[in-house]
Amino acid sequence: MSFLRPLPARALLAAALCACAPAEAPSRSTTPHANLIATAPPADPFAEHEASARSPIDAPVARHPPPTLIRHATVLTAAGKRYEPGFVLLKYGSIAAVGAGDGPSTPEGTVVVDAKGQFVTPGIIDPHSHIGVYPVPKTVAHDDGNELIDPLTASARAEDSFWPQDPAIERAVAGGVTTIGVLPGSGNLIGGRGVVLHLVPERGARAMRFPGAPEILKMACGENPKRTYREQKRAPASRMGNLRLLRDAFVKAQKYVRDWETWTKKQRAQAAGKESAPPTQASARPGSDGDSKPPDRDLALETLALVLRGDILVEWHCYQADDMLAALAVADEFGFKVRAFHHALEAYKIRDVLARRGIAVATWDDWWGFKMEAYDGIPENAALLTEAGARAAMHSDSPVAIQILNQAASKALVAGRAAGVKLDEDDAIRWLTANAAWVLGIEDQVGTLEVGKRADVVVWNRHPLSTYARAMRVYIDGRLVFDANQPEPPWSDFELGIRRP
Amino acid sequence: MRAPARCIGLAIALGSTAIPARAEPPAPVVIEHAKVYLPGDRAPLEDGTVVLAGGAILSVGAAGAIPAGARTLDARGKVVTAGLIDADCDVGVVDVEHEPQANDTDVREALTPALRMADAYNPLSVLVPVARSGGVTSAVVAPRRGLLGGRSLFANLAGESASEAVVRPALAQYAHLDEESGQAATGTRGAMWLVIREALEDARFYATHKPQYDANGARQLSLHRAGLEALLPVVRGEEPLVIEAHRASDIETALLLADEFRLRLVLSGASEAWMVAGEIARRKVPVIVDPLEDLPERFDRLHARPDNAALLSRNGVSVIIATFSAYGVRLLWQHAGNAVRMGLDHDAALRAITEAPADAFGLRGYGRIEPAAVGNVVVWSGDPFLTSTQVEHVFVRGREQPLQTRQTLLLQRYRNLPVERAAAR
Repeated sequence: MSFLRPLPARALLAAALCACAPAEAPSRSTTPHANLIATAPPADPFAEHEASARSPIDAPVARHPPPTLIRHATVLTAAGKRYEPGFVLLKYGSIAAVGAGDGPSTPEGTVVVDAKGQFVTPGIIDPHSHIGVYPVPKTVAHDDGNELIDPLTASARAEDSFWPQDPAIERAVAGGVTTIGVLPGSGNLIGGRGVVLHLVPERGARAMRFPGAPEILKMACGENPKRTYREQKRAPASRMGNLRLLRDAFVKAQKYVRDWETWTKKQRAQAAGKESAPPTQASARPGSDGDSKPPDRDLALETLALVLRGDILVEWHCYQADDMLAALAVADEFGFKVRAFHHALEAYKIRDVLARRGIAVATWDDWWGFKMEAYDGIPENAALLTEAGARAAMHSDSPVAIQILNQAASKALVAGRAAGVKLDEDDAIRWLTANAAWVLGIEDQVGTLEVGKRADVVVWNRHPLSTYARAMRVYIDGRLVFDANQPEPPWSDFELGIRRP
Repeated sequence: MRAPARCIGLAIALGSTAIPARAEPPAPVVIEHAKVYLPGDRAPLEDGTVVLAGGAILSVGAAGAIPAGARTLDARGKVVTAGLIDADCDVGVVDVEHEPQANDTDVREALTPALRMADAYNPLSVLVPVARSGGVTSAVVAPRRGLLGGRSLFANLAGESASEAVVRPALAQYAHLDEESGQAATGTRGAMWLVIREALEDARFYATHKPQYDANGARQLSLHRAGLEALLPVVRGEEPLVIEAHRASDIETALLLADEFRLRLVLSGASEAWMVAGEIARRKVPVIVDPLEDLPERFDRLHARPDNAALLSRNGVSVIIATFSAYGVRLLWQHAGNAVRMGLDHDAALRAITEAPADAFGLRGYGRIEPAAVGNVVVWSGDPFLTSTQVEHVFVRGREQPLQTRQTLLLQRYRNLPVERAAAR
């Protein structure tokens, strides 16, 4: 009866990975797409499928903004250093130099920005946004954030719902935000894939894709899924129902992995046999071709299979400490990692567990109380997590809050300090940038002002942790996308003829 | 840590008392050497003294007799303002928004002018101390929806009983004529205004035909007696009618309606008010806004913008800032601070959360630091609008209030892990 006992997930996946991934494959955490598309061997069926779903139609266009030197500013690097006065040199879309003093002498053609009295930070990253999938104005036609026909819709993609004309995009940029993680809503246990976008005016989400960002999956526990489907007189109707359906889904995903693995092995064995020996009577027999028919493709299970393999980052909406612990039990059972809990208002209660496991928390400063699972939120959440050695990030989940995320970090910093947590300004900036980048798996590319990182940079008129601070200039990949002193026609086609200067 | 130990003692003492005894009158307090914000256009006192006695402000300024037994509070480097007033919020009527039994704002009928929020107000809601911890000492708690949704209350955010807390149980009448509430209830904008007009006309008719109405000799009216009665002070121009409207043309309609019926109008929401600021200013109609609601979120506010408050104020409109929330009441300072960020004059923003709501609703003695005013006073560590500023002392009717909340208790419990509860010791 040993065949009935499920294989330990890790062993199974290790076998699957050994079978198809080359040893020299680049680290997934830095260049996941390269892994999935460019270097994955054709023998990995999931990678092939991923690649085929990534049509290059309307891909990001490389631009060549002039080199820009921002100087005489206070530079907050989010990497432990503060330069006052300092400079940042943006060149070829990257940060070419950053440091104290006036900066290097600049060749002709360099735009020099005198930012005396102003502050420079990395672009803010909001790891939890529904901009574009729940756009403004609220309309029935654009209510595209939740696929509430089934609690498990892993194959849905936020990218396919994203409305690039959402007027909230430009307003987020005016708040100093350069990158967002757009997620499906939380009505489903597995809502579907999110997408990491650069906030640039484009015709579609594909052109806004953050280059090289990993795939992310939105999951949800607690009240939302069970309430949504209970109202429909369907499962899940309870927390245990949530977990039951989730386990069932991952059991199916395990079988899916096994089926493909078996088929792949057979294919290889057959190929090897054909090469080494002339066809035998048996293999030439009609009917044996049945074995070469691949298992049916299931895009939802394929997504979960990639989660099991660690190729998709799990972004899990969870409020209560006990719900997060239950979620982690499922993750352990099936051998996958949770990248971050989102909202996680009770994360402070289990901060030791989260720190030990390296799980990040994307949360608010003090948005709480609106439902039972949000009742125990406290403003010191991010501070206590940071103190415990866990990664905390600020998120908005709102087109209003995204405009003042800098104030959120400031409030969380003040609350933490009042509670006796030792925090500095750099910690608060990191909540907005470096840690938020880690939540989305793009920490090697953005989140700090360091040489070689993407030139996603904000110039503020005063200290960004002040209530009165405004983003004056916002750069994405070295390109000036927002200038508070140069009002331009609205980005959104929708607002043409409506918005006034 | 913001929660002083003595607060816990107080909470336990109160928790063990079934019926709270009337508290002793508070000892007089002298707050000295503070930067004190004064009403109107007067410059703040840079080294001012505020004396609280008998629940009121006894004196303001350098001079003034110090009452016997007064406690002195050295507020050097601190800022003193009147206690903030949230001019539209849900404190005391919501504990958990998504739980129907813990949410008393979800009225399902469109026409409930006789509804009184005061009947639902719970002074012991856990959200009351939270609001107070943000320097908010009193609040207007208003119906959240309805074409004529009923009457708001005005309460001090302190006290063990509703009768102690509620100052005005029937403050103003509310008409939510936004897309979400008004238009949705009737289907079209025209029908929405028709219902309001009809109700006001019927109330006016009722006012002069009570005997016929009682004798069953009156024509058919659109409201029941209780509703008509509730609208009487509105059509007499005594009680404010707060109209939530966002589109500029809806605001114009509201202004014309107010002219026609001689209403005491207050505008609320008013996302596009900046486009008709002159007309609003000419009629001296106060406007309640939330500066953070700056998105073209619905078709009735496609011209919403973050500097609405600043533009209104610049055009001479009396601007009031409110949170329209339950949990966010304590962040009233941040709502006002963002108006400043977008160009509203600092002192006008402070007036928008103190004097302006008091003046709009006729709340005499509230929202100002002056002799004989109610002793609702806040001591801040600095500029009230800055994230870095802490609320240091809150006085309601001259009595200092604990800054402890359920949240500070959670912090205390989880400040160190593992948490040791009594049973596990």
